[in-house]
Amino acid sequence: MTESKVDLLAVFPDLEPAANAIEHLRSIGVHDECMNIISGIPVTEAMLGRPSQWTNVPRIAMGGAILGFGAGFFLAFITPYLYPYPIKVSTQAFIPGPPTVVVLFELTMLGMLLSTFLGVFLDSFFPNYRPMKYVPEVSDGKIAILVECSHVEEKKVTDALKKMGAESVNPAEAQHL
Amino acid sequence: MAYDKKHAEHAPAGRHNGHSEEHLREKHLMLDPLPRGQMNDMVMESMLEKPTWKYWLVVGILSFIVVYFLFYKWSILIMKGQGEAGVMRPDYWGIFLVNTVFWIGISHAGTFISAILRVFRAEFRRPFTRAAELMTTFGLVQAGFSIFMHMGRVWLAYWLMPYPNQRMLWPNLHSPLTWDLLAITTYLLSSTMYLFLPLIPDVAMARDRSTGWRKTFYKTLALGFRGTEGEWTHLRNAMNIFAFAIIPVMFSVHTIVSWDFAAATRPGWSSTIFGPYFIVGALHSGMGAAIVVLAVIRGTMKHMKYFIRAEHFDAIGKLMLIISMAWAYFFFNDYMVQWYGGDKWTQQLLHFHEAGPMGWMWFAMLICNVAIPWAILWNPKWRATPWLVGTVGIIINVGMWFERYIIIPISVTINRMPFTWRLYEPGIEVPMGIGTVALFILLYMIASKLIPLIPVWEVQEGQMAHELKKFGRETVVSVSELE
Repeated sequence: MTESKVDLLAVFPDLEPAANAIEHLRSIGVHDECMNIISGIPVTEAMLGRPSQWTNVPRIAMGGAILGFGAGFFLAFITPYLYPYPIKVSTQAFIPGPPTVVVLFELTMLGMLLSTFLGVFLDSFFPNYRPMKYVPEVSDGKIAILVECSHVEEKKVTDALKKMGAESVNPAEAQHL
Repeated sequence: MAYDKKHAEHAPAGRHNGHSEEHLREKHLMLDPLPRGQMNDMVMESMLEKPTWKYWLVVGILSFIVVYFLFYKWSILIMKGQGEAGVMRPDYWGIFLVNTVFWIGISHAGTFISAILRVFRAEFRRPFTRAAELMTTFGLVQAGFSIFMHMGRVWLAYWLMPYPNQRMLWPNLHSPLTWDLLAITTYLLSSTMYLFLPLIPDVAMARDRSTGWRKTFYKTLALGFRGTEGEWTHLRNAMNIFAFAIIPVMFSVHTIVSWDFAAATRPGWSSTIFGPYFIVGALHSGMGAAIVVLAVIRGTMKHMKYFIRAEHFDAIGKLMLIISMAWAYFFFNDYMVQWYGGDKWTQQLLHFHEAGPMGWMWFAMLICNVAIPWAILWNPKWRATPWLVGTVGIIINVGMWFERYIIIPISVTINRMPFTWRLYEPGIEVPMGIGTVALFILLYMIASKLIPLIPVWEVQEGQMAHELKKFGRETVVSVSELE
């Protein structure tokens, strides 16, 4: 039988006690993967002594740029050949160089920026309107630590968090935001 | 909770008198933090404040102008054709295109303030990036409308889309008209996404503080954002990519617009310097418009005197002064080379600009774009006075509109076929142009009641990074690199 888990949501008044609490939790055996930090402003991993977060956004952006370039290549180089008969205008080049650069540039940038935007949605699972574990006080400057632990460890973790300055420690309940 | 620090009204922005801690805190928003909950409440109150009768009066007047001058007149134009406008040989390009270029210029301020100042970590940008980004999006909407008006048969706009029509013909992607479509579409989509990404944390904050239909509205826009480590990391990465990538897109848009003219071998247009000249002109009008918007927001919305201070007007005023100098340089460069070239028709055109029936506009352009900004913006005290620097912003925009009018309908009057010369007399374009201005202001007024105009989390992040440090007896502002 698997051990049942509980999520605790601890609210800290500031960065410093939150960083100390994370360190303390680690020292009593709570793994980094079992913690998540919620804040109202971006707090870097280094400030809280947390491992670096992985993000796919730059890779998705690069993929989008390549797709955009491909679309630009198709429009600039391939479409002139798709006519039933080639349209040649006087001495003009059939596929002129400089205008092609404009098309390639614009579509590459469009592909990159669209995919960057979509990358945030994909990586963050947006939009997500299901109930979630959250505490609105974070937008007032509080730092929340969401800790996943076993029922056996619940008291130990709660005591540790309170000892490190948590204003409140409660079992986290998913709620509609 | 009203913020009534009278010191923030007109604190001298250019000089420190004694650099006392109190003085520095009064002067710099970044050194004057309030509790975050209170700041959030201030931003919410500025949005939720019950509109006064004056607000509704202005909204009513603007709505009337939009409905009558923009949409009704446009329907007349569609039904009766381009004969309603003043365009005819040789002036086929009139006010519709003047307005297109003008509005694209206005839209450059958002990217300049938000992206370029973000890349260079100019901290004063923080409270007004969103106000500028909104200008970009709403300005591009007007540019799009203006170019559709110029198109005439607007219901055929889809012919520009890159797909084969019934005869298996693709639009010519090597034509400047399709470059415009690609560039403006790319810029509109990019700037709208760039407006939305940093808005997510603020609408999440608004979601936590609202009820009723607003709660549903903000909940939908916030997409379920909580502020977890992962969400912030993805958002920050995306915003960095946007900040760097949108700058060349911005440059490309106005360069491509300038090529619509420069690629032609007409007198006055065939210029290799038109690309950068147009970009500087766009920044000139864009910054001018941004300062007007800031002065209005500060003067009319609750708590805005806390967020938008004399230091911000001073900083933008300095940028306006530099950009005005750059514009004067490019203008003179463009004029000099054409004048020295000695081409008969170009000489004729330059003479027509200065001494023709619209010569007053040419001189007014120089007074508005150069003389007045230089005369006022050199002074730190004047530069930090919101109403004065806002007035300069309006004057610059009048001057820049004149510049576009001179480049387009006045310049096409003189060509190599004197028998076609005719001075452009605008018709239905004038009320329709006024309609785009009204729509821009109306959209802004509606947005000010729906979304937080101050990116409050960015302000709070900046305040976390700023502190005062003592070096000997002097107290100075110190900024930490948090990212």
